[in-house]
Amino acid sequence: MKIKLTVNGLLYERDCAEHTTLLRFIREGLGLTGTKEGCGMGECGACTVILNGHAVNSCMVLAAEVDGAVISTIEGEAQGPSLSDIQKSFEKHHAVQCGFCTPGMVMSVKELLVDNRKPSTDEVKEAIEGNFCRCTGYTQIVEAVMDLTGQPDGKGELEHV
Amino acid sequence: MVYEFRYLAPRTASELAALLDGHKTDGKILAGGTDLIPNIRNGLMKPRVVIDIKKYEGADRISFGSDGLSMGPAVTINDVLRSKDARERYPVLCGCAHELASHQIRNRATVTGNVVNASPCSDMAPALLCLGASAVIRSATGERIVPFSQFFAGVKKTVLVPGEFLERIVVPAASAGAVGRYMKLKRIAGHDLGIVGVLMTRHEGRLRFAVSSAAPTPVLVDTVTEKDSPDEAARKVLAAVSPISDVRGTREYRVHMIGVYVRRLLAEVR
Repeated sequence: MKIKLTVNGLLYERDCAEHTTLLRFIREGLGLTGTKEGCGMGECGACTVILNGHAVNSCMVLAAEVDGAVISTIEGEAQGPSLSDIQKSFEKHHAVQCGFCTPGMVMSVKELLVDNRKPSTDEVKEAIEGNFCRCTGYTQIVEAVMDLTGQPDGKGELEHV
Repeated sequence: MVYEFRYLAPRTASELAALLDGHKTDGKILAGGTDLIPNIRNGLMKPRVVIDIKKYEGADRISFGSDGLSMGPAVTINDVLRSKDARERYPVLCGCAHELASHQIRNRATVTGNVVNASPCSDMAPALLCLGASAVIRSATGERIVPFSQFFAGVKKTVLVPGEFLERIVVPAASAGAVGRYMKLKRIAGHDLGIVGVLMTRHEGRLRFAVSSAAPTPVLVDTVTEKDSPDEAARKVLAAVSPISDVRGTREYRVHMIGVYVRRLLAEVR
């Protein structure tokens, strides 16, 4: 089937098999490999993209379902050599170690900040609860978001509960 | 996915009913996809045809009227949390919605899917049971309405038969204003399936409990009264469930924690 998608502001029209996931379509159909596949079943969040304004696990969405949709991926963040504000703050706070979870983390944070310019640490943690980081960088990620939103004293200490 | 299937997206409810009628054995309904797609990927389900329930007019409608809050099959968990009607009139529904999975999954998973999937650990079922909600079930031959207290038939089983779909969930207007709290025991603070969950509601002098992950289906307990002591209340709730030991917890742990939660809820929900 033929589908049309607007990804990072560009309109793409492509043939795709009806059983193709959005993740696979983005990576293999469009060649945008910034979005990662981790678990493939909605646990890890590495495949998170923004679909019509909402962060979703693209591994559990069919490309066929979202014909006509507007999508943002990590490739839409930097403009040329200039990183986005979220990326700059992640870099400043060393919120990246291996980097595999980062594209998904950035997308989840991006959705959070659309409606909430001053999130609390709890709200940040909730926004990224579906994004696993196995380098244990959550503290720095929360700090990066707090700093970015003008709350540099809002620390993101990892709580063991 | 390597496994291949056809994708169909009916544009009216009648067209959907006709398609389901024609694909009773080889068709599967796709709502949020957060269970179906991993199940297909893992080889647990092999539908030849996947029928998208989200694309017909009105499927994504959530509205409050004289008969209560109505939710179509494409209404997501976060649609509920964003609905002013749900937040103001049904805080218990929102409390359970908030406990379900992760933010990304709540953006995609549907309320109807969560109950049709009929997992014992459904987080929406406790709210729908305590609030006295009903399922409006449609097929090519007609419509029937089943209260959620009679909707679940076993582990991953409901009263739906092939050809039928859950067209709407209706939470009665009479339940608006019910207060309550859902306590869900998880291994981590973030998104996880429940080890056990207990919801208690208090509305117009009436107490209700619903328990998830403690029996083949989510369980409603409406026999506890204000006069019961906390121990008596816990005894009544425990008499209605039959938890098992599995990878997430032992039977003994579940039994103990249900008692703890019932006592805590009686003290906290005012």
